[in-house]
Amino acid sequence: MRLHLLFKERAFTAYLGFTCTSGVKVHTKMAPSKKKHASNQPCVIPGGFTVLSLRFRSDSVAQHKLYVKEHKVRAEKSSHRPMDRTLFVLNIPPYCTEAVVNELFSQFGCVQSVELRDHPGSSQESGPKMSKFFRPAKKQGFKVGYIVFQNSSSLAEAKSHPHDAPLVVCTEQHPVRTGAQKWIQQYTESFIHPDKLQQIVDSFMEGYDKRKEEEADRQKKEAEQLQEDEEGWVKVTRGSKGTKARPHSEAANKRTLQKEIRKKKRKELMNFYTWQHRNTQKEHIAELRKKFEEDKQRIAILRTQRKFKPY
Amino acid sequence: MKNKQTAAEDPAEMIPTESHEEEENEAPVKAKRSKSEDAGGEEMVCHPVKLSRSDLYRPPTAEELNQLKEAESLFHCSLLKMQMEELLREVALSERRKQQIDSFIQTVTKLIQAVPDSPEVEVSDLSWLSSAVKVPFLLVPKTTKGKFHMAPPASVDLIGSYPLGTCTKPRIRVDLAVTIPADVLHPKDVVNQRYPRKRALYLAGLAQYLASSSEIGTLRYSCLHGNRLRPVLLLTPPGKDSSSFTVHVHACPPPGFFKPSRFHPQKNNIRTEWYTGLQTSQSEGNEPPTPHYSSSILGDLLPRPHLQFLSAVSSQCSAFADGVALLKVWLRQRELNQGTGCFNGFLASMLLAYLLNTRRISNSMTAYQLLRNSLNFLASTDLTVNGISLAKDPDSTAPSLAEFHNVFQVVFVDPSGHLNMCADMTACTYKQLQHEASVSMQFWDNPTVDGFHSLLMTPKPMIRTSDHVFQLCELVKLQSSCKKQDLLSELMDHSGNYIHTALPFILSLLQQGLGQRISLLTHSLSPDPEWSVESEAPKHKTQPPLSFGLLLRPELAACVLERGPPADSPKAAEFRQLWGSRSELRRFQDGAITEAVLWDGESMCQKRLVPRQIITHLLELHANIPESCLRYVGAMVDDVINTGSEVPSTGEEDSLLVVQSYDDLSRKLWRLEGLPLSITAVQGAHPALRYTQVFPPLPLKLDYSFFDREKTTRSLVPKEGKPCPVYITPITVICHMEGSGKWPHDRFAIRHIRTAFHIRLGELLKKHHNYTCKPCPNHLDVSKDGLVFRIQVAYHREPQVLRESVNAEGLLVVRDNEEAQALEMDTIHKPLLTSTLHGLQQEHPCFGAVCRLAKRWLGAQLFSEDITEDTADLLVVSLFLQPAPFTPPGSPQVGFLRFLHLLSSFDWRNNPLVVNLNNQLSVTDYTEIKNDFMASRESLPVMFIATPKEKTLSMWTKKGPSVQMLQRVVMVAAESLKLLELQLMDSDQIQDVRVVMRPPLDAYDVLIHLNPKQVPLLVQAVDPPTVTFSRGVMAGNVAQCGGAVPVVGYNPVSLYLGREAFGDLALFFCDPHGGTVIAVLWKPKAFIPMPFKTSQVSARNVAVTGEEAKTIPNVEAILEDFQVIGKGLIKSVEARTEKWSF
Repeated sequence: MRLHLLFKERAFTAYLGFTCTSGVKVHTKMAPSKKKHASNQPCVIPGGFTVLSLRFRSDSVAQHKLYVKEHKVRAEKSSHRPMDRTLFVLNIPPYCTEAVVNELFSQFGCVQSVELRDHPGSSQESGPKMSKFFRPAKKQGFKVGYIVFQNSSSLAEAKSHPHDAPLVVCTEQHPVRTGAQKWIQQYTESFIHPDKLQQIVDSFMEGYDKRKEEEADRQKKEAEQLQEDEEGWVKVTRGSKGTKARPHSEAANKRTLQKEIRKKKRKELMNFYTWQHRNTQKEHIAELRKKFEEDKQRIAILRTQRKFKPY
Repeated sequence: MKNKQTAAEDPAEMIPTESHEEEENEAPVKAKRSKSEDAGGEEMVCHPVKLSRSDLYRPPTAEELNQLKEAESLFHCSLLKMQMEELLREVALSERRKQQIDSFIQTVTKLIQAVPDSPEVEVSDLSWLSSAVKVPFLLVPKTTKGKFHMAPPASVDLIGSYPLGTCTKPRIRVDLAVTIPADVLHPKDVVNQRYPRKRALYLAGLAQYLASSSEIGTLRYSCLHGNRLRPVLLLTPPGKDSSSFTVHVHACPPPGFFKPSRFHPQKNNIRTEWYTGLQTSQSEGNEPPTPHYSSSILGDLLPRPHLQFLSAVSSQCSAFADGVALLKVWLRQRELNQGTGCFNGFLASMLLAYLLNTRRISNSMTAYQLLRNSLNFLASTDLTVNGISLAKDPDSTAPSLAEFHNVFQVVFVDPSGHLNMCADMTACTYKQLQHEASVSMQFWDNPTVDGFHSLLMTPKPMIRTSDHVFQLCELVKLQSSCKKQDLLSELMDHSGNYIHTALPFILSLLQQGLGQRISLLTHSLSPDPEWSVESEAPKHKTQPPLSFGLLLRPELAACVLERGPPADSPKAAEFRQLWGSRSELRRFQDGAITEAVLWDGESMCQKRLVPRQIITHLLELHANIPESCLRYVGAMVDDVINTGSEVPSTGEEDSLLVVQSYDDLSRKLWRLEGLPLSITAVQGAHPALRYTQVFPPLPLKLDYSFFDREKTTRSLVPKEGKPCPVYITPITVICHMEGSGKWPHDRFAIRHIRTAFHIRLGELLKKHHNYTCKPCPNHLDVSKDGLVFRIQVAYHREPQVLRESVNAEGLLVVRDNEEAQALEMDTIHKPLLTSTLHGLQQEHPCFGAVCRLAKRWLGAQLFSEDITEDTADLLVVSLFLQPAPFTPPGSPQVGFLRFLHLLSSFDWRNNPLVVNLNNQLSVTDYTEIKNDFMASRESLPVMFIATPKEKTLSMWTKKGPSVQMLQRVVMVAAESLKLLELQLMDSDQIQDVRVVMRPPLDAYDVLIHLNPKQVPLLVQAVDPPTVTFSRGVMAGNVAQCGGAVPVVGYNPVSLYLGREAFGDLALFFCDPHGGTVIAVLWKPKAFIPMPFKTSQVSARNVAVTGEEAKTIPNVEAILEDFQVIGKGLIKSVEARTEKWSF
C-alpha cells in the first residue's frame, strides 16, 4: 500500500531518486524530463511551503527545489524582517550569493534586501560592527534566505509561481562565477592594503575605547550614588545588573568553598584511634580485592577477543 | 543490498575492498540488528567493577591474603600473572590431542617393530629399495665401504619434548627414536660417513615399509636442525587430523654402541683421502679435526640419557614445563627456535636444568620467575667466551671447556660432558639471543610498558626488527667463497654443506668491516628442508636465500669516511688487506696521514646506504660474491618521498634549509626594535619545522609573467586560463607578545590589536630586512629565501578571554568552548609539539623520514583527513619513545613497517596510547591515565592518545577518526604491511613498493576526477605524472628578499572539497599530495527519508504522502553541483550507481 502511494507521489513531484520503505529497497531511476503537470499550478506541500524549481543553467538537467513561505514568527519583532513583506526561502544552493538571489527573485517584484544564513532563526547582530575582513569566513553550504520585498503583493506572486517553470541562476546577462574563476576572485579579494587595514583597526579601537569610557562613566556614576549625600543618606539601589559585594566570578566562588573544605580536613586526625587504623587496613584489602576483580574482568574480556594466541 | 554483516562481525576476515562503507550502509535498514551488535560491542568494554560492600569488606582468609600479596609484590599487578596463565592455556596440548597422539604412536610403534628383515648387501647397493622411495642423503662422495641389511629395530621409544611434557602448540612434533639393531652397524662405522649413510638407509627402509600402510597419512623426509647428516622421517596421521601433529622418526645406534671418546672435538673421523678421492701424504695424526661431524653422530647416541636427565629435573620443579613453554613462546616470537643452529626447546629445557642444578633458580619458583631468571642469565652470560657445562663429574676422556671453545663458537656441554649442544650455533645467533634477552629484561622492569605483550605476544620478524636487511640470493656462489678462503677441511667437517661452512667466515668478515657502524649483526637460520620420500634429497643450493639483519648505530652508520691506522703503523697492512684497493692514504686536517676509505654519498638518503657499499665491496673482494647475488633491502620504500631533485634525496636537506631559514627569521624577529610590546617567544608550528613535512617546502624563484597582479598591493594572483600556479606552503610561526595591562579584555578588540601588530611587524621587517610582507587580520605572510612564513601574533590570555562570559545573573562564568580550544591548539600545543619533535629529530636522525613515510601512506590511502598530521607524528613518536620489544628504528623503512604494525595491531578499544614526550610522565601518571581512560572509555575518542600536557581528553584525535574509519585504517594497514613485508623479503614477488600506496577505489560511490592542470601538487603523486605543466617557476638562484608577494596557499583541490556544503550527505576523500581523484561515499543515514523540517532540507527533495512530507537527498542535482562548484577543476564525475543501495 505504502509502496503504491510512494510511486504516486513520485509521479506528482516528478522527482528522481531513491526511496526506502521498511524491508523493501527500491532503486529506480526515472527520466528526469518526465513531467506530468503541464498546468501552471504552484506546488504546495504540507507545512505551507511552495516548491520552486531552480536550475543552474537553462540547459541543466537536474534542478534543486526551493521551499518558500511567508516569514511568520511569533517572537520576532525585528524591523528588518517585516512579516508581511518577507519571504522565507529554504535550500538555496551554495553558488547563490545575495546578489544572485536578489536577481532571481526580482521577477516577483522589487527586492528590498536579501539576507542569507546558515540556519533559520532570529537575526542576532551581536557585538560591534566589524569590517568584512574580521568576520569569520562564510560557510560554503546550502542557505536559508529572508527576502524582503518592497510590496507585499510580491509574496503572493512568488508563492503562486508554477512549479514547472524553474528559476535559472546563471544566465548570459548575469553570469555566475564558480570553480577556478571564483577561487581566483576570492583570492584576489582577500588582499587589502596595509594602510586601509590599519584604518579599519584604528576606527574599531576608537569605537572600543569610547564604549569602554562610557562603561567606566556609568560605573563611576553608580559609585557616586552609593556615597552619602549632605544629610548623611545613602541611596541603596539594586544596581543595573545586580552588582553584588561578594566575589563576582564562578571561579572565586569555588575557591572559597574549597578553602573551607580544606580547613575542615586539616582538623581531622588520621590513624589515631585503633578503629581508624583497622579501617585503613580493611580499606587496603578491599582495594586489592577490587583490583583483582578488575584484572579478572579485563582478562575475561581479552579472552573472548582471543587476545592470548601468541601467533 | 549485499549482506556483509558477517564480515563486519569478524574484522580479521575482512578484505580491504570491503570497507567501512558497509557498516554505514547497513545502518539505516538494519537499525535493529546493528543495535544488538552495538550492545554486544559494549559488553566488551570494561566497566568499573562493582563489588558489594559485604564482598569487599569480609574478613580475608590467610590463603586469599597470600595470593593478593603475591600478586602485588611479584608481578606489577595480578594482571600479568593471569595473562601468563591464559597464554599457557593457549599453547598447552589438550587432552584430546594427547590421546590422539598416544594412539597414533602406538600404531606406528607396532608397525615399525614388524619391519621385515632383508638380505645383506653392500652399502652402496640400493637395489633392495623400490624406486618409489629414495634415500634421504646426499651421497657425496659416492663410494662407501660396509654392509647393510634391514632388521626390526631393537626398540622404539618416545624422546624429546612430548614425554617430558614441554610440547607446545602450534606445530606439535613428537619425536620417536628407533634403535637400529647392533648387528646392522659396525663400531668403526663412525668413520667416513658410514654410520650416517646406514642410518639414512635404515630410514629409507622404514619409509618403504610404512608407505604401504593405510594407517599412516603422509611420509616426508626432513633433517634435524638442517643437518643433512641427520635425516628424519616425518609421519602424519591419516585423514583430517593430518595437519594437527607430526611424528619425527629418528634412527639411533644402540646405547653405548660407539665410545664417546671417539668423538673428541680434536679427533678426525673423516679422512681427507676418502673425501677428496685423492691420494694424500697426510698421516692419520695430521688429519684436520672434524668436530661438527663428530658431534652430529654423538647427538644420536644421547637422546635417551638427556630425556632421563630432564625428567629427573622436571619432576623436582613443578613449574618446569610451564617455564619451558614460556621460554619457547619467547624464542619463537624472535624466530630463534628453528633452523640450523637455533636455540630450540631442547636447549631451553637444558638451560633451565642448568640454572636449577647450579642453584640459580629454586625448585619452588613459578613459571614467571623461571622465564625471568633464564633471560637474566642469557643477558649476562656470554657462552661464546665462557661456556657452561651440565656435566657433574665427567670421565677423564671428556674434553675440557677450553677444547670446546677452540673449535666451536658457542659452548654449552651436555650432562655426559662429551657433546656441545650448541655446536651448530654461530656466535652471531648467540649474540642476537643475548641482545634479545637484555632488551627484554630492560622493558620488563619498566612499569610503563605492557610487558606481557612486548615479551610474549609481539612477533619480531627480521624485516621489522633489523634496520637494514640484505639477502644472498644464489647460494651456489658460496662454493667459490669456500674455495677462495681455502676452507676445505671445514667443508669436510660440514660434509660438503658449503653454506654452513662459509657462513661463519662471512659473518666475521662483515662484523670486521662494519665495525662500529652496527650494534648487532644477525642472520636468518636456514629452515629445515622437507621433501617427499619419493624425491631425492634436495641440493644445498635449493635453500631459500640467506638473510642478514643489521642493527645500526644511527650516529656512525651513515659516516662516509672509514679512518684507518697511520700509514706507518703495523696495523696498516691489515687495514689495506681488508679494504683492498679502496684503501688510500689521506691527509687530514689535524695533520695526520692515515689509511682511509671514503665511500660515496652526498645526500642523507645516499649516506644511509653506506653499509650497503661496504658489504658489496667486502663480499666481492673476499668471498667472490658478485653484487648481482646481493639483494639489499634497506631503503626500498624511501623512494616514495624522493623529492625528485638532481641528487637523489629524501628531503632531509630541504627540511634543514627550511629550519635554517626559520632560525634566521626568528633571530631577526627577536632583534626588532620599535614594537610597542616586546616579543616573548617565537615558535614554529608547522611540520616542516620539525622535519616531518612529507614534501618539505622548496625555495622557489617565480616567473612573474605567469601571474596576474592585484591592483592595490601589486601582489601576484593566479591567472585565469593558465594551469594552477605552483603551491607555496605557508610555514606557520607563532609569535607571542608580552602581556600588558594595555591589552584589551575583549575578544574582538584583541583580534584588532593583533592585526595592528601584524601590520607593524610587516613594516619593520620590510624596513630593516627588505622582506616582502603581506599583513592580514589573522596573520602576516613574510617571503624570505624563496619560502613563505606565516607569522601569527598570539596573546597568552586570549583563550581565557574567549572562555569567559557573563551570565544572566551577572556572574562571571568560565566555560570551555571550541573556539578557545582551537586557539590553544594553534598557539600553545602545536608549537610545543613542534619544538619537542624538533628535539627528537636531533636524537634519532631517521625520525623525520619515518614520519614522512607514514604520512605519505596515510595520504595516499586517503586517510589524511581522519588521522591528522599531528596524530600521525605522535604515533610515530611512540615508536621511538617506546620501542619495546624492538629498539628505536634506525632506518626509515623499518620505522614505517613498525608504524603499519602499530596501526594494525594496537588494541585501541582497551588501551590508551601514552606518548611520553620528554619523559615527563611518571609511573603514577600512567596508572592515572589508564584509570581515567577505563572509567570513561565510551565518551572518549576511539583513538586515544595521551601526552604529558594533556592526559585525559586526547585532543589530537578528538575530531577523528570515527570507529568505522579506524576499523578501515586498521584493515588497510594490516594488508599493506603483509604485502610490503612479503615483497621486501621475497625477491620472487613483483618489486613495486608503490602498490601499498595505491588505494582501493572500488569501495566508493562517486569518483570525481580532477583536471591535472589545476592540481598544483601533481608532482608529488604516488605515480609520477606523465605530463607536467609549467606553473610559473624559473630555474636559478633564489633571491633572499624583495620581490612581489607570491601566491600563497592557493590550492583549488582543498578549496573545492565539498565538505562544507555536502558534509551531511557524504564523506570526501582525497590524497593531499597530488591526488587527482576525489572519492565520495554517501552517508547512509542521510538517505533515510526524513520528515520535512526547516533545518534539514539542504539539497533534498520533498515527497508527500497524504499529510506527511518527507525529504530525500536530490542526488541528481548534487552530482551536477559537484560539477558546477568545481568548474575548471573537475574533469568528470563518475557515479557508480551500480554500487548504490539505499
